[in-house]
This record gives sequence, structure tokens and C-alpha cells, in this order.
Amino acid sequence: MASAPSNRASTSSSSLSSLRQRPWVRWAAPLLLVVVLAVLPLVMSEFVNETLARIGVFAVAVLGLNVVMGYAGQVSLGQIFFLGVGAYVTAYGVTNEWNIVLVFVLACLVPAVAGLVVALAAARLGGLAIAMVTIALPIVGVPLAKRLSEYTGGSQGLSARFAEAPEGSGLFDDQWQLYIVLVIGGTVFLLTRFLVRGKYGRAFAIVKGNENVASSMGISPYRYKVLAFTIASLIGGVSGFLYMVVIQYTSPETMSFGHSIELLAAMVIGGAASIVGSLLGGAFYVLVPQLTNQVDASLTTLLQGVILLVVLFVLPGGLASLPRALTRGRRRSGAERGAAASTTSPSSTLGSGTSAEEPETERQGHA
Amino acid sequence: MNRHFGARRALGIAVASALAVAVTGCGGGDDAGRSGDAAEGAPSPGITDTSVTLGITTPLSGSTAGPGTCTVAGVTAYFGMKNAEGGVEFGDGKTRTVEIEALDDGYDPQQAKANYDQLKDDVFAMTAGLGTPTNRAWRDAAIADEVPQALIMTGDPLFSDTEESPWQLGFVPVYQNEGEAFGELLAASGEDHKVAILSQNDDYGAGYVEGFKSAVEDADNIEIVDELTYEATDTSVDAQITELAASNADVIFNAMSLVPLVVSALQKAQQLNWKPSWFLPSNTSSPGAVLEPGGGAAFPGIYSVSFAKAPASPAFAQDEDVVAYLAALKQYGDYPDPPAFPHCQWSWMVGATLEQAFQNMEEPTRDSFMEALRSIEGFQAPLMLPDTAVDTTQDGQPAVSSVVVQKYNGRGYDTVEAFE
Amino acid sequence: MGKFVQLVVDGLSTGSVYAALALAIVLVHQATGLINFAQGGMAVLSAYVVWSLTEQGVPLIVAILLAIVFSIVLGAVVERWLMRRFERGDPDTAVVVTIGLLTLITGFAGWLWTYNNQQFPSLFSLDTVSFLGVSVSQRSIGTTVVIVVAMVLLQLLFVGTKLGLALRAVAINPQSAAFSGLPVGRLLMVGWGLAAALGAVAAVLVAPQLTLTPGMLDNALVYALAAVILGGLTSPIGVVLAAWMIGILENLAAVYVPFIGFDLKVAVPFILIFVVLLVRPQGLFGRKNVVRV
Repeated sequence: MASAPSNRASTSSSSLSSLRQRPWVRWAAPLLLVVVLAVLPLVMSEFVNETLARIGVFAVAVLGLNVVMGYAGQVSLGQIFFLGVGAYVTAYGVTNEWNIVLVFVLACLVPAVAGLVVALAAARLGGLAIAMVTIALPIVGVPLAKRLSEYTGGSQGLSARFAEAPEGSGLFDDQWQLYIVLVIGGTVFLLTRFLVRGKYGRAFAIVKGNENVASSMGISPYRYKVLAFTIASLIGGVSGFLYMVVIQYTSPETMSFGHSIELLAAMVIGGAASIVGSLLGGAFYVLVPQLTNQVDASLTTLLQGVILLVVLFVLPGGLASLPRALTRGRRRSGAERGAAASTTSPSSTLGSGTSAEEPETERQGHA
Repeated sequence: MNRHFGARRALGIAVASALAVAVTGCGGGDDAGRSGDAAEGAPSPGITDTSVTLGITTPLSGSTAGPGTCTVAGVTAYFGMKNAEGGVEFGDGKTRTVEIEALDDGYDPQQAKANYDQLKDDVFAMTAGLGTPTNRAWRDAAIADEVPQALIMTGDPLFSDTEESPWQLGFVPVYQNEGEAFGELLAASGEDHKVAILSQNDDYGAGYVEGFKSAVEDADNIEIVDELTYEATDTSVDAQITELAASNADVIFNAMSLVPLVVSALQKAQQLNWKPSWFLPSNTSSPGAVLEPGGGAAFPGIYSVSFAKAPASPAFAQDEDVVAYLAALKQYGDYPDPPAFPHCQWSWMVGATLEQAFQNMEEPTRDSFMEALRSIEGFQAPLMLPDTAVDTTQDGQPAVSSVVVQKYNGRGYDTVEAFE
Repeated sequence: MGKFVQLVVDGLSTGSVYAALALAIVLVHQATGLINFAQGGMAVLSAYVVWSLTEQGVPLIVAILLAIVFSIVLGAVVERWLMRRFERGDPDTAVVVTIGLLTLITGFAGWLWTYNNQQFPSLFSLDTVSFLGVSVSQRSIGTTVVIVVAMVLLQLLFVGTKLGLALRAVAINPQSAAFSGLPVGRLLMVGWGLAAALGAVAAVLVAPQLTLTPGMLDNALVYALAAVILGGLTSPIGVVLAAWMIGILENLAAVYVPFIGFDLKVAVPFILIFVVLLVRPQGLFGRKNVVRV
């Protein structure tokens, strides 16, 4: 039977695991994390806060992509479209001075509805159609954003300064923005973690592995694909809201197709089907351009390509697989590739096209 | 399984945070000048008694990297030359060298803002960046942080409105101005003309068309017979040219910023045997890069607007400004090829204009700089055509607002007063 | 009527640009089961090789032949030393590796030759040929003819030769193919090499019109992918016809459907694909997938 998603591979020796079983350790680590995150914005410099906030924005976007692509196995090259829609909804609402809570709710719902509509139409058709429709979203979205210039500001974009720190809080703007990102982003991460660790996550995994098996178990692939896609769009909308909080400007370039590809790369580099991987992916998306700019501003593309390839060469499972790779490297010699191949073979066995590039296969059932 | 989760997630996030802090902490400045914290009269960052640093965020990769690289090369070459001569003498009596720090934003507004965040505490002023959305992305932040966004390469009128943008100033003429200049010429010609319009579907194209239309709207002899757009990502405009040719217009107003599309439009029109008089904007009218491959000589007239001397033009081959500029570009600007885009010349002029502001600013502060910047009048920057000058005192207009209309003469351009 | 025919002819010419790239993508997919996002980038690199050689005074045809050799080597090396590691694993990872390759090649070309638009010598002249009230350049005709020849050759390769059969076998089931005695590794390299050569030819044909820059084929790539999916991942004839259809219908929709206009005409290929896939999920000419559980 298909092996469990690889990020749950148990690696610790017995003494370490017995330490972790103690209840106070179980609570201490997340609590420590919360304290660190609460204090962090207050001690770090403005630029670090701004960078962390940007990382948060794109980590949420990558998380959404992970839900539909990493966990449910459906190719989506349009995640940036939902970020863009969320950002535009936010900008429009703020410019018209709507209540900020209403704006946030709309920034979640409008992209979710759009994603639902798209998924309802495309999910029945199999992986190829979903891939093409998702490619269409940013490509058609950009000229559409330009055409609807009354709402979107056209190609000049929309500025919306609304995330200024409240008067009495004594916080600087960048700290306030980072707190918003941490609270909203953190909540989304937590909710998603519960989702993918529960029955929905299991259903997604089965649909990803083999759709025929799924339907024979009574799990409707169609329903779960639509669900995954809608959730991904909703999360994309949230990331769009956060984008406006941090960047405070949006334009048609926000949802260009090139960014979709970059999000996909960030997801894989961070680690597909991994919560921590989404965070690392967001960090990759934001930090690598900054890093390459520091090295040589005229060679950014070249350096980014090199970094991407080097990371994937060393860690084909993404950055989140580093702990696993280290322990596996200690125990087995040169079998990284073998392990990666065997743990991911469920996804390369053809369901009904989990990704656009899958070859037809007449492999005997060996899920 | 769940019991491992908390610890592992904490580890993951801690690693990510540590990474983020380590990498970005290196580039981040101190807390001076934090949002809402600018103190009056205190020395501004990025300037010492011996040097001043300017920041640029501009596309150095991607489809707009060609002009983007030019925007850095010109100003870097200018100050490289000045630094070699000993530096620039400032209005406060000190002589300083001018350093440039340029970052690539790949024409992504989000990256442009990130670059600004990174540079703002280390540089005295930001300058010369290319692009409307990229400059707009950090315009609000620059106003709030009181960082100059001076002499940027966009024809968006918002940047030159002193009330809306107190810390900004555009350099190149607003798109409307260029369109208007040609429209006025055409309207004044006295003869009847049918005009077809083909423009890029963004603020650039829309601005040109707006200016042109405002100049011809009251002219009875001008009729706009067809108006089409194209996207910057299109591979060809054949279909648009085909449709416009069917309108039998005798003039085409073409607001296009992409060289290959202009060339192919010129070629397609000839194939269809449609030979109108042609208008091109200042950044895509180069004889060498556009008109020769496109076969411009086949048309009764190719018109453009300009304020800069074209270095490739034989008329300016011996011009001393041009000679000095080309030499400096190679030596200090890290740009060994002949300038491929006019932005190289424009960026050189930005350098000269900044020097004027530096010479007039009395204190080493950003306030004083902006004051000096906004008081330059009648300055003929090197490489400027006669009858054009830098004038930053006009509210609502960028540093360069005067353009001349020119006509292609088979090898270069001549300034014309009337439409022939 | 003249305008309509002219638009159709122009659409055919634009479609040939997409078709050229699409053929290379199909070949790689047939050989290794991957979609190579870097196909356009590798093609552009080969075009730069041609350009550099011609700048040194080498005659155009010789330069093209040399560049084709270069591209075959490039394709084989990339497959052996970069892609081999990822071919058996997660397909998403493999796609991202090709994305990384595209970024690397683009950055490399930008570094060596700058991002400026370079004039590229044309194989065919620009002289116009007029017939039936329609005028088209010799260059467009030449490009289309070469694409058709390439398409026919590729189709023959897949269907009629042992090499084509071997390539397909390796893509469908590498283990069985190995057991049957096929030199899997070498065949994979051949597949990538041929695809790269095809891409090089494509780039050389379109560079005169688009002007040579590192990102020259980026916009065409999306259309090429659309053509590949519309035409069926397994059929060279299918993708070329699909690409032509996309080029023609785009133009017609832009002119005759005012609601779409020139800015939204990019939606046309996708609407087309959606409609076709509703009726035929394997694309117009693709073969149906058979899955046994």
C-alpha cells in the first residue's frame, strides 16, 4: 500500500522520542514559539520586520498552492491569480473606505468563489484541463485587470495605505504590519495544519495517489478536488489581503504568469505537501532575490537559476526534507534517490493525470 | 505522529527565522529614520563630508532589462567621470564623490518596494528608476519616510504634481506632452488628415493618445478613423496593422515602446502597401535599431519627438558632449556597447541635473536637496537638443517638459517646424 | 473578405512560431515524459550561438549547422547530467528543475550578450508575395514550410522508425524497455538532443522577427504549451494544427468579436482548449490514456 506522505517518517532514536512524549515538552515548544514571535517584531530592525512580513505573505500563498498541488496532487499554475484578486478586492475596499473586517472577509470570499467556479468546471476533466485553466487565470487576469480600470486603477495600479499602526499603541508601522501578518498568517497555517492532518487530508492523499482507488473507497475525487481548489483559492485571497497590508500597492503585474511559476518553484523548493515547507518556500521566494541583489545586481537571474538547481540537486524533496535527508544519509549510503523515488512513486503512478506532464502508463496496479 | 509535530514545526520556524534574520540583518540599517520618525534638521543618511550615496531600483533582468541597464549606466558614468575629476562641489562648500547603489527589481513592484526598504537608510536619495508600477509601489512609502524619489524614468504625471508627490520628481516628459507636441504639429498643417492610432495597452500608450487627442480635438482637418491597442506581451501586431491599413489613413500615430514590434509594424505596413506618415515615441525611434531594419525610408515621413541628441546620428559624430559621453559610458558606466536605448542618454542628463541640485543645496539634508532640485531653470544639460532645457520649477511638469518634433531624413533626424 | 483572408494568413504565420516550439516540447515529452519549461530557453541559447558566429563572419547556413550540433550536445548533456536524477521522481520536482534551467540559461545569456535586442540575420528575404488580394512575406512562407517539414519528419520518426518506437517505449515504461535490451540512457539523451535541435531551428526561424533577446521565446512558450495540450501530447501533427488554429482564431476573435478585442484575445486559446477538452479529454489528436488499477 502507498507509504504515508514522507514528512511523517519517524527518525528519532528511542531516548529522544521518550523525551518528546513528556507532556510538558509537547506544550513547551509551541509556547516558546509563540513567545518568540510575539517579541520578535519589537526587537528586530525595520528592514528585518518588513522582510519577515513579506515572507509571511508569500508563505501563505505557497501554503494555498500546497493544499491543492502538494496534498491533493492537482496542478495549479494560477495561485498568483487568487493572490491578485484578494489584493485588488482589498485595495478597492480600502479606497472606498469600507469596514476593514468586511474587506478582509471579502478578500477571502471573492477569490474562493472564483476558485470554486473554476474548479467546478475544470475538475471533472482531469489533470490536463485543470492545468490549462489555471495557466489561463493569470494570463487572462492581467489584461482583464487593465480593462476593468474603474475598479482596478488600470495599468497604473491602486495604492492603499491603511496598515498604519494605531495611535496609542506605540508601535511602528512595520511592527504593526508584521503582527497582522503573524496573527492572520499563523491562524491560516494552524487551520490548514488541522485540515491536512484530519480526514480531509487523508482523502486528499488518496485522491492524489490514485483516483480510481479513491472512488472505489467512496471518496469522490471530483468533490475533493473542488474542495482542495476552493481552499487553495481562499488561502490565496488571504495572502492577497496580507500583500496589501505589507506592500500597500497592487497593479496588474502582481498577478503575472511569471510569479505563478516562481510560486511553484518556491513550493517545491520549500517542500511539497509540507506545512513547514510552505514557510520555507515563502522564505525562498523573498530572500533569494534579495540575496542575489547583494551579490551582483546585474546577475540576479543567473544566480537565482544556480541556487534553484543546487538546492534541488542536494535536496530533491525540498528544504523541508533536510532533517530527513540528514538522518537518512547517516543510516543509508547513497540511497537518497532510491528513497525519494519509492516514497513518491504513488504520485507518479497514473491516477487520471495528477499533473500535466504525466505519461500514459500501463503499469500494473501497484499503488 | 502528532507528538513530534510541535517540536519539529518549532524547529522549522526557528530555522527559517534565524535564516531570515541572518540574511536580512546584514543588509538592514539601523533604526534611524524609521517610519514616522524623521527628525528635522538632523543630517540625512547616505551623506558624509566626503561622499554621498544615491540609490536606484530598476529592472536589470527580464524583458525591460535593456532600458533598465541604461538607466543605471548613464548616471553611473556621469558621476564616475566627475569623481575622477575630484568630485562634485556642493552648495555647503564641501566636495564629495557620488556613489551609486543599484538593485534589480525585474519590473516587479513588490521587489521594487523591497529594494527601496533595503536602500532607504543607506542612501541619500533614490533616483533614475524605470517603470510606472515599480515607482508607484514605493511612492507612498517615500513620502511617509521623506526620502527623495528624484528624476525617475516614467512619464506618469502623478510624480510631478508637487502637492500629491512632494518628494518626487519625474525626469522624462509626461507621455501626454509628447503626444500633444505631434498633435499640434499635425493640426497646424492646414491640410486634411485621416489618422489611425495604434497604442500600447497601458498608461504609457494611453498617455500618448490622450495628449494627441487633446491637441487635435478642436482641429477640423484631423479625423481619427481607427484606434487599436496591443499588449506588451504580444509577439506580433500584424492583425492590428492589417485592420488599420483598411482604414486608408494617411497618418499613423504609433505609441509603442517595444523595438521589435515597431520594426515588424513598419515591415507589415510596407507588405500591405500602406505607406502613411508615421509617428513614433522618443524611445523607439532610433535610426539604427528601428528605422533601418524596419525600412523607414519607404514612408513619406517618420516623425518623432525628442529632447536628446542621438549619439549614433552622423550629425553629432563630432559633438564634444557626445564624444565625452560615449567615452565615459565605456570607462565608468560598465557599458561597452554603443547605447542601445535612449535611456542611456537620459540617465546621463539625470546625472547632470543632480549635479546642479547638489551645487545649489545649502545643507546636507534631504529637505535642502529637494528645494534645490525644484529650483533649476533653463539648464541645458549635456546632450540636450537646442530649444530644449531642464526646468524643474513648473508644478505639474517633470524636469524635462519641452520636446521638439523631428523628422527622419534617411540617416538621422532633423528638427521640423511644420508637417510636410 | 480580403481582410479576413489576410488575418487568416497572418494567423498562420504567428501560429507557426508557436508550433515550432510546441514540436520540441512534444518530442521531449514523448521521450522522457516531462514538460520542459526550458525548451524555449535552450532554443534561444542556440540562436545566440548562431548570432555570435555570424558576428565573427561565419556564413549563416554554416553557423546554423554548427548551432544545431551544439544544441544536440546541449540537450544530451542536460538530460544526462541534470534531468536524469529527477526523471524517476516526483514530476513536480522535475518541472521545477526545468524552470531552474530556464532561469539559469536566461541569466547566462543576459550576462554574456546583455539584454539588448540584437538583429538576427534572416534565412529568407522579406520580399512580399501577393496572391488573391493577400500579401505575405517570403519569410512567413519559409517559416511555415520548414515547420511543416519538421512536423512530417517528426511524425514519421515516431510512427515509422525503430528509433521513434524505442523512444516511446522508454518514455512509457523505462524498466520494461531496459529489460528488452534498449539502451535507455542513450535513448533519453537522443530524445533531448533531437528536441533541442528542433528548438534551435525554431529559434533561428523566428529570431529575425522577434529580435534576439534572452527572453525572446518566453511569451511564445505559453502559447506553445496551449498548443501541445490542445493538440494532444502525443501527436506532432496535432500540435501544429492546434498552434495554427490558435494563431488564426486569436486574430479573428480580436477583430470580429469586439468584446474580446485585442487585449483579451489571449483568452481565445484557453477557451478553445476548455471546449475541446470537454469533448475529447485527450486533446484533438492525442491517444486515450489507458489505466489499469
